[in-house]
Amino acid sequence: MALRRDSVVLGVLLAPVTIFLGVFFLVPLLIIAVFSFLTPGLYGGVEWSFYHWNYGRIFGWADGIEEIYEPVYLQILFRSLAFGVLTVALCLVLCYPVAFWVARLPERARLFFLFLVALPFFSSLIVRLYAWLLILKPSGVLNETLIALHIIREPIELLYTPAAVVLGMVYVMVPFMFLPLYAAIDNLDRSLVEASMDLGANRRQTFLKVILPQTIPGIIGGSVIVFIPSVGNFVVPDVLGGAKGLMVGNLVEQQFLSARNWPFGSALSMLIMSVVLAVLLLATARARKAGGQA
Amino acid sequence: MTPRVAQMGLGAFSLLFFAFIYAPLLIIIVYSFNSNPVNMMLWDHFTLEWYTGLFGLSERGPEIGDQNRSLYLESTDQMLHALRTSLTVAAFTTTIATVVGTATAIALNRFRFRARRFYNGFMLLPMMMPDIVLGIGLLIFFVTIGLNLSIVTIIIGHCTFLISYVFIVVQARIAGIDPALEEASADLGASEWVTLRKVLLPQLAPGILGGALLAFVISMDDLVITYFIAGTESTTLPVFIFGMIRRGVKPEINAIATLMILASVIIAGFGLWLRARKTD
Repeated sequence: MALRRDSVVLGVLLAPVTIFLGVFFLVPLLIIAVFSFLTPGLYGGVEWSFYHWNYGRIFGWADGIEEIYEPVYLQILFRSLAFGVLTVALCLVLCYPVAFWVARLPERARLFFLFLVALPFFSSLIVRLYAWLLILKPSGVLNETLIALHIIREPIELLYTPAAVVLGMVYVMVPFMFLPLYAAIDNLDRSLVEASMDLGANRRQTFLKVILPQTIPGIIGGSVIVFIPSVGNFVVPDVLGGAKGLMVGNLVEQQFLSARNWPFGSALSMLIMSVVLAVLLLATARARKAGGQA
Repeated sequence: MTPRVAQMGLGAFSLLFFAFIYAPLLIIIVYSFNSNPVNMMLWDHFTLEWYTGLFGLSERGPEIGDQNRSLYLESTDQMLHALRTSLTVAAFTTTIATVVGTATAIALNRFRFRARRFYNGFMLLPMMMPDIVLGIGLLIFFVTIGLNLSIVTIIIGHCTFLISYVFIVVQARIAGIDPALEEASADLGASEWVTLRKVLLPQLAPGILGGALLAFVISMDDLVITYFIAGTESTTLPVFIFGMIRRGVKPEINAIATLMILASVIIAGFGLWLRARKTD
């Protein structure tokens, strides 16, 4: 393909995105980094002087004079990571068999079920979360049903638990896992599967040695797309989680909108950003390796 | 386990999966017609009250009380105002993101320059950045430069990540278009601009429309970024519903939610129809 070199046209085409994302994307990210090293002011403002205690509060070198070290911040960070991993794992377990099933349906049925998976993309996230509020609350659908079936006598606590948070995240993230997985499974080389079976491998061996390796790119893609928004999530724990379901996103939100300690909130967001960048780098390195093998 | 049994198990699991996705939405829809105002999960009888109430049409029963009625009407007003804000934001955002995202896709696919690889990776970042990070970054930025939080800051915030979405969709389309026609146009003496406008853009139209639709839908649905940069005057529909849920659930939410589900089905159907037309 002959690529063009007209620099005036190129400049006009590229200038808007460069200016816009430079000013409204890169600068805000840099500002977070700067703010995370500033001194929190008395009434919610900042003082422009260097201050490393924002990180000291989190990682433990706060001396108790300027700031106090609270292990709870690291605990919440690890909990967010754990919730993210759990969400990814559950989405994988749910989506992999279904993607397999859908991929083998006749054309019309396949399109129908793909439409059903994609439809939640178009519907409001907050509405879908709200549905779980109705289901899980003490007088909600699930408790009422269980009581009517005489499985339980008193409503059990479902809402405001860590399980509710993970359930809510799985529910909103499931389409994001499904589509990359489906694409990978749909691209499977069927003849390799048949060859493996013909050569005497059993179903388990065929799955582990032939099918799974071919769908690794889809698994990685889906996992990254699900993990990143899960770790930084604050809406799901806000709506469905109680104190035990608090995630790092909630901490950031509190620092910005109620505690008004922006530098500390920025330091916490830097943690989210580092996790995201680490995951992205790992995934691209893995993808490059896979690409190199092919 | 015989293959047949395994196949049936797979089918049953899959149907449960789809039940898991859709049952919660069905529950909202069913309960939006329940007249019980105290415990909305206890079925009383069928009513359209919450729907007519949304548009200020219903005379509520005595159980509401005069004081609550004015409160209630006020919240209806706020909701309609939030809907208007959402539509305005989505309209502006879609326009800006579509123009900028399309221009970027053309530049990266049809021109040779040194930073191309950098741009290709960079354009993915705004999509991958967790929205809370982008939200607080923009909040600090706007406050630091002294820009008042308003509908303008919401539009700017939405554009920062929606440009990337449009870019991805248009990029996928442009990669499949044979540049031979454009070369012919250039050979025949058309300027670069004329070639872009008269030859490339018409072929790109379905991709651009698809990208615009996606941008519109995501903008209408964005909660987190808007939540941080909306300010007090301008609230969008998702932020309004989020606030309502936080303050305590009222039966009207079911009706609003049902209407939103209905709207999403219509939009998704429209998108599907567009795709079907494209392949014709």
